[in-house]
Amino acid sequence: MTDDNSDDTARTDGTGIVPPDDETPTWRERKERTTGLSRLTYEYFERSRREDQDLREESDYVERDVLAFPVWPHELIRNLALTSFFVGMIFFLSATLPPHLGAPANPSQTPAVILPDWYLYWSFGLLKLGPLNPDLAIIGGDKLLADRTYGVLANVVVVGFIAIVPFLNKGSARRPVEQPFWAAIGVMGVVFAVFISALSIKNLVPMDPHLLFDLTFLVPPLAGGMAYAILKTMREGYMYDLNRRYYKLRPPK
Amino acid sequence: MSDKYPESSGRRRFVKGVVGSAAVAGVGTASIAAVDAITNPTGAGGGSTQYFGVENTAGPAPRAMPMVPLETDEEGYLRGVYPEIKEEEQAGQTVQVAREELGGITYEIDWFQYCGVQEYQGLQPSYDGDNYFRYTGGSTYDWQPSSGRMHVDDFDDYESWANDYGEAGIGKPAKGTWRSQDTDNNIPVQIIRSSVLEDKIAEESGEAIDWLEAATEDGFMAILNKCTHFCCAPSGFRSSNYGGAGDKIYCQCHQSIYDPYSIVKRRFVAFPRPEDG
Repeated sequence: MTDDNSDDTARTDGTGIVPPDDETPTWRERKERTTGLSRLTYEYFERSRREDQDLREESDYVERDVLAFPVWPHELIRNLALTSFFVGMIFFLSATLPPHLGAPANPSQTPAVILPDWYLYWSFGLLKLGPLNPDLAIIGGDKLLADRTYGVLANVVVVGFIAIVPFLNKGSARRPVEQPFWAAIGVMGVVFAVFISALSIKNLVPMDPHLLFDLTFLVPPLAGGMAYAILKTMREGYMYDLNRRYYKLRPPK
Repeated sequence: MSDKYPESSGRRRFVKGVVGSAAVAGVGTASIAAVDAITNPTGAGGGSTQYFGVENTAGPAPRAMPMVPLETDEEGYLRGVYPEIKEEEQAGQTVQVAREELGGITYEIDWFQYCGVQEYQGLQPSYDGDNYFRYTGGSTYDWQPSSGRMHVDDFDDYESWANDYGEAGIGKPAKGTWRSQDTDNNIPVQIIRSSVLEDKIAEESGEAIDWLEAATEDGFMAILNKCTHFCCAPSGFRSSNYGGAGDKIYCQCHQSIYDPYSIVKRRFVAFPRPEDG
């Protein structure tokens, strides 16, 4: 920073709003003339905007003397130390824990319980959507796709949807109450994942498989709807509290 | 025109031509080699074949599991029937073919050439062992021994035998191997003795019954225990109550169910056997 503008050094404590009469009202005065949530929210956003602006104005990014550390020796020494540590851990673990190498798979004998790893159950469940694959009258009651193709395409649809969510929802919300709709979509997805996982092991779940199949598609929208209703109800009170707490902790001078 | 790129010159076109034609020639040679490797028959047998098997009644399996014809010897030991081995001229070469007429159908070893079984040494005509069924360890069924040849006397109580699944007396199952001594892989088979089968042969008629008369004996039937879906060895007859499988053959991998008393004729494309197995 240069010295000639030290008087104008931006304040970053959020107190840069200057009222027209040069007199900042006290907290009590402010509270007395408040008009409720809308006023509070406006002030909250105004303060945030001002803080951001101050920070930007006083940014010394260009003027810094040191922009970064050189790769050699600083960065490389640090990276080598970290690498050596983790390589050492790998050697240590492989030396202390003898590897489990089972007998090769016997194609003539299949274990009584044979399943993918648990974290792939959802995908395994998506392969069992045969009942959703319609028998089309137009091709003589046959299925357009084999059940296995259908199951693979179901995986593509689910993974594809998850992949495009960041492009559909570009909000900056960080709490479910701030975006009840997308939070509800998330709840629906999680509940669906749980149920589709249970469906994938339907032969082991002590429940009628047809009932389980129906629940897999009925419960998630229900849970999503409930989550939406609850979050929507919570939202106003929650945001009010949030704003008030923020405001109280840092009252204007 | 951007001046970033060099002028097109005769020399440059020449170099491009040489590189391009070399690339095209390389790709062409590689694809011809690939097509050749894929389409060149490298084994014996294979191709479309028609067989009798136990019907797939539920689950994702595409077709029936093939039956293995069986017979008993004078001492009462059970053994499978391997088709007669003949020498045949095929495309100017003499090859061994295992094929015979049995119960109104051409019984050939191609029936079992799927799911990798086509590579088992036991399936080769040159296999030098006997045809007896032998028990295996790790079976679904507590009653059966873990080794030794299967004998008719082991199944004496087949009309009353019961376990946790299905009704008592619908059949006594065992699991074993066929033509698998001193080989790398066992050919898994399921043996069932049942009065249901005997009654069916006595009361019904049709091409499936003709086949059963030739391929079964004293209520015994044998099935190649390889699921036609993804090649698991099914846990077997009367091994689960899931989806009404109590009185059927159940595959634990993807819940395919086969009805051993519903014999159907099916067709599929068999893999060839490797010739020097």
